[in-house]
Amino acid sequence: MRRGIRYVAIGFATSFILLSFGLVYWQVAKADSLQNNPANRRLILMEDRVKRGGIFDRNGEILAQTKTTDGKKTRVYPKGEIMEPLIGYATLKYGASGLEHSLADWLFGIRNSTPAQELEQIFQLPRQGDDVVLTIDSNLQKVAFDALKGKRGTAVALDPRTGEVLALVSQPSFDPNNLDKNWKEISTVESSPLLNRALSKYPPGSTMKVVTSAALLRAGLNTTDLYNCTGSTVINGQRIGEQNDKEHGWVNFNKALADSCNTYFATFGVRAGSQRFLEAARGFGFGQKIPFELNVAPSTVANQKALPDALDINLLAESTFGQGQVMVSPFHMALITAGIANKGVIMTPHIVDRVLDPDQNVVLKTKIQPWLEALTNEEAEKVTSAMITAVNDGTAQPGALPDIQVAAKTGSAETGGDVRTHGWYIAFAPADKPQIAVAVLVENGGTGGGSAAPVAKALIQEALSMKEGDRK
Amino acid sequence: MKKDFFILRLLVLAILWVGLGVLLLQGKLDNRLVWQGLVFSALILLGCLIEYLLGYKGDPYILPVVQAIMALGLVFLARIRPASALRQFWWASISLFVFYLVLLALRDYKILGRYRYLAGIVAVGLLLLTLVFGVAANGATSWLELGGIRFEPEEFVKIAMLVFLASYLGENEELLRIGTVQFGRFSLPDWRTFGPFLVMGTFSLGLLAAQKSLGTALVFYLVFVLTLYVVTERFLYLAVSVPIFLLTGSLGYLLFGHVRLRVAMWLNPWSDTTGGGYQIAQSLFSIAGGRILGTGLGNGIGAFQVPAASTDFVFSVIAEELGFGGAMAVLCLFLIIVIRAFVVSLRAQERFGQILAAGIGILLGTETLIILAGVTKLLPLTGIPLPWVSYGGSSLLVHFILLGILINISHSTAAGTFGLKAKRREYSA
Repeated sequence: MRRGIRYVAIGFATSFILLSFGLVYWQVAKADSLQNNPANRRLILMEDRVKRGGIFDRNGEILAQTKTTDGKKTRVYPKGEIMEPLIGYATLKYGASGLEHSLADWLFGIRNSTPAQELEQIFQLPRQGDDVVLTIDSNLQKVAFDALKGKRGTAVALDPRTGEVLALVSQPSFDPNNLDKNWKEISTVESSPLLNRALSKYPPGSTMKVVTSAALLRAGLNTTDLYNCTGSTVINGQRIGEQNDKEHGWVNFNKALADSCNTYFATFGVRAGSQRFLEAARGFGFGQKIPFELNVAPSTVANQKALPDALDINLLAESTFGQGQVMVSPFHMALITAGIANKGVIMTPHIVDRVLDPDQNVVLKTKIQPWLEALTNEEAEKVTSAMITAVNDGTAQPGALPDIQVAAKTGSAETGGDVRTHGWYIAFAPADKPQIAVAVLVENGGTGGGSAAPVAKALIQEALSMKEGDRK
Repeated sequence: MKKDFFILRLLVLAILWVGLGVLLLQGKLDNRLVWQGLVFSALILLGCLIEYLLGYKGDPYILPVVQAIMALGLVFLARIRPASALRQFWWASISLFVFYLVLLALRDYKILGRYRYLAGIVAVGLLLLTLVFGVAANGATSWLELGGIRFEPEEFVKIAMLVFLASYLGENEELLRIGTVQFGRFSLPDWRTFGPFLVMGTFSLGLLAAQKSLGTALVFYLVFVLTLYVVTERFLYLAVSVPIFLLTGSLGYLLFGHVRLRVAMWLNPWSDTTGGGYQIAQSLFSIAGGRILGTGLGNGIGAFQVPAASTDFVFSVIAEELGFGGAMAVLCLFLIIVIRAFVVSLRAQERFGQILAAGIGILLGTETLIILAGVTKLLPLTGIPLPWVSYGGSSLLVHFILLGILINISHSTAAGTFGLKAKRREYSA
């Protein structure tokens, strides 16, 4: 019996040790990810105990602030719906969304908390969270918001040199100040204002051609060679048509991109092969999680797998001009544009510039660092040159500005069914020394030049009218 | 030695009063609980005196460790649900009283062995009664109501079952070990020997499963198998138990919807965090919220968010408010008790006591492991109380009676009651 007891005792001791590993797993390894699980109400309930920090734009304007009157805390959003759904909301009843959700651990002062905040937490004293300063520019945000008014769409503006997000608009929006009162309508209305369209996926249409360009160039395409566009072509038994079956005639690379010639990109894209195409997509960040403060749906090339090992010829042909199964978020499209503008290097996007503790000491300053090298310097120059042609002598003309050279590309993405296409417009300016990169999407807006270009134009104009020094 | 006794009790009281004090400072303590706490503390010290006067010579650690666990449990109940805590303090005091009653009256614990078959019949009878007249709560029909008092017969059945096992196995040990019937390479015991064990096991497990007390059924199964193994030291019994478990488990999975749901929610609680996965998700959020040092007593959120926080999920709340450190301390305390029970068994001088002590150790170990592995998602969740911590009078009372028996075994070993000349050394600290 001795031996039996000894074995069973060892068995129990081992099981208890396994149990303690389980505790380590949950309390140390998984603690952060569980805290951020949307079903976890811990952060929301903390609302009651902590005075949330404020959120400010790059010029120090207040975007969100908690005011205490007679011991009652109210969260106010002075900019109202202009900043939504980017900033999001934070209520006891409905939880938190947007930056209010993803930055909650800073705003509550529980991440890298100061000794004072630790003590306040332990003794449950009234606490003050950290303030967050964003890279957003309220003026730009307002311009884009107004330009998109009445439409369903989104606009994202980045500084291509740093990856700073200057504006991130999604329309329709909602007023976060009276959320409790209007919740029912806001959360059920068909236009879904709570949805941040910049972070959702759409078919990219012809804007995808800037990505395909990388594959063509790497396949040794001579950009001056001419191709005769007859309005449609047949590849592997599949008919590839131009928009409205327009004949572009003899085009070179620049002109093909400028006129948005589908058959050119399909023909040379298929010739370049699916490996080169997929490699180019990977280089631009397809199938990858975008390192950003908000959760962005990763862009995908195919339904089955975000980045498959190979594409069959028919799907590849459609993918070259952004149809088929390609899905991209407008935010990612802005990053792609910024990458071309920044000589092929996509900078890591960020919206938090710095975090300040209650005594206004800087506890975090976001570092500027590259994310991906999508193109070589030379490739970026060639794509830029074609995007300039698109503005000066192509479909992107509606976005041209009188004294600033803009480089741009339009897109009109078919969504299937008898509805108008989604209008896309991606642009950066000035073309030789870019300061801003923009992606605009208007749902069912028709052509990109008609619906999305005016929004991008207004954004670029506003951004460049401010002198360099005005924007800190 | 006596001084150590006393110091350990003071530590128990320190746990209790530091905890209650913190709650008092936060304004979360019902004043009546203070009085209850005083009564309970007085009982602990009185008990210490009784042991001294009786010349208690048994294991000096088991009781203080159990009391420490219980003090922690009472503090957390006072924090989670003061109304329950008021009742639990009563139960704790009564249980402590009954414990000393057992200690006094059942010095000759071997008497229990005479009622082997009576114990078996009472056990099965109680379970049968519960199935027929029982009251359902939380999905299981495991309560009986008698004169306005609700109790869980399955808890009391644990005592009867352990007594039956110890007595039966003690008597048939040899036959079970060697076997009389040849089955190919294996020699198995004949029906006359093995029959009572099989009948008891099948009946009690079947009745528990019919009540939907799956957690308790699992505890019983493990206790049966492990005790049988400990006594016979035949690995064959363990090996056979695995396919039997898998078979009945799969059968249960196929037959019962709630078993399938449990397993599905164990595999992926995140798929439905507001429905079926709610319990386990909330439990994990709570545990994770504690991190290393915890939020501090009274600061956690799990106390309101986790379902059944005062019973099955009490450990999740402890892990949140005391953190990894506190949770590990609780684990260690339980492990100490289990191992000490085995030590008592190893030192006991006669078979019945040895088997009974080992059985108690196995019971405590499996109960603790099953519920703790359940709330940490290492195993599918089956709700059973955490001994001495979870709210519930029946469980508390039964575990104190078992403790009384265990301590009596330990005492008679040390005192050499059962006629062994060579007095073993005393377990002094």
